[in-house]
Amino acid sequence: MATNPMNQFEVYSIGPKIQIGSFDVSFTNASLFMVLTVSIIAIFFVAATQRKSLIPGKLQLLAEMIYEFVSKMISDTAGKDARPYFPFILSLFLFVLVSNMIGMIPYSFTVTSHIIVTFALALFVFVGVTIIGFAKHGLSYFKLFVPSGVPAVLLPLIVVIEIISYLSRPISLSVRLFANMMAGHTMLKVFGGFVVSLGILGGWLPLGFSIALTGLEILVAFLQAYVFAILTCIYLNDALHLHH
Amino acid sequence: MNDIDDLDTKIKKLTPKKNESATKPNSALGIAMRLSSELVAAVFVATFIGYYLDKWLETGPFLMIFFFFLGTVTGILNVVRTSKMINKD
Repeated sequence: MATNPMNQFEVYSIGPKIQIGSFDVSFTNASLFMVLTVSIIAIFFVAATQRKSLIPGKLQLLAEMIYEFVSKMISDTAGKDARPYFPFILSLFLFVLVSNMIGMIPYSFTVTSHIIVTFALALFVFVGVTIIGFAKHGLSYFKLFVPSGVPAVLLPLIVVIEIISYLSRPISLSVRLFANMMAGHTMLKVFGGFVVSLGILGGWLPLGFSIALTGLEILVAFLQAYVFAILTCIYLNDALHLHH
Repeated sequence: MNDIDDLDTKIKKLTPKKNESATKPNSALGIAMRLSSELVAAVFVATFIGYYLDKWLETGPFLMIFFFFLGTVTGILNVVRTSKMINKD
């Protein structure tokens, strides 16, 4: 039995080894769970929209709720101009949410507990938002780094600070999701280990903690997906409406 | 006719309430995680920039130290901005 709480994060390849150039692109357990995540989302939506009725069934109701939740989130934070990016934000939210939730199943693998995955997602958002900003405002997008009403003496310092602040966005976005998922899953494993090592006499207290933590982790899994999506909306809002 | 009017006022009473509570799982935990990661990320990025500027310009540790403090300032600024935004909601 695996006693090391970090064992659950190990990435290993399943199936044949594939090498392109100097890159190892074998199919790993992480890839498997990503495929699983995407398939679950796709199958869910296909099944939910199979019978479109005016009075929705359970599946259709759930799909509509998800749709409205994300739609409202976008219109609240980024306004009407962000409507064209709805599919992207919905996919992002669902991908993070479903992979977090799959991670809550024992013996499964949490894709979002790896910094490279969350960083890739965050970098995609960051680059996309920057491109949208430049496409929409041209060179005046640089005004984002020059807040109005700053004395000329302080301006060089403020501009550097603003640039650092802008560049720190993908880091904070990705580190938050990754740290939450990894810390939560490590903690669950540690308490699970306590239950086994303390045995039938002392194991009840950590078992209680484990149960409480599982509930907390499900909350965190949802909350982090929500925060990831809403911050994407906020960054999009900054790019669409320059108001610094 | 009276019944329909009654129903109408009832619906009108209920509608804004439903809209308010539809979305906003703004728990304290989420806010805490947002603020802390905001603070740390800026310091991290700025130190990283300073480190590579030092390597490029061969200016010893000075730029890294300078950018570390600049990153701290940025982090605090980010936290202030984020909490302002959360308060506004």
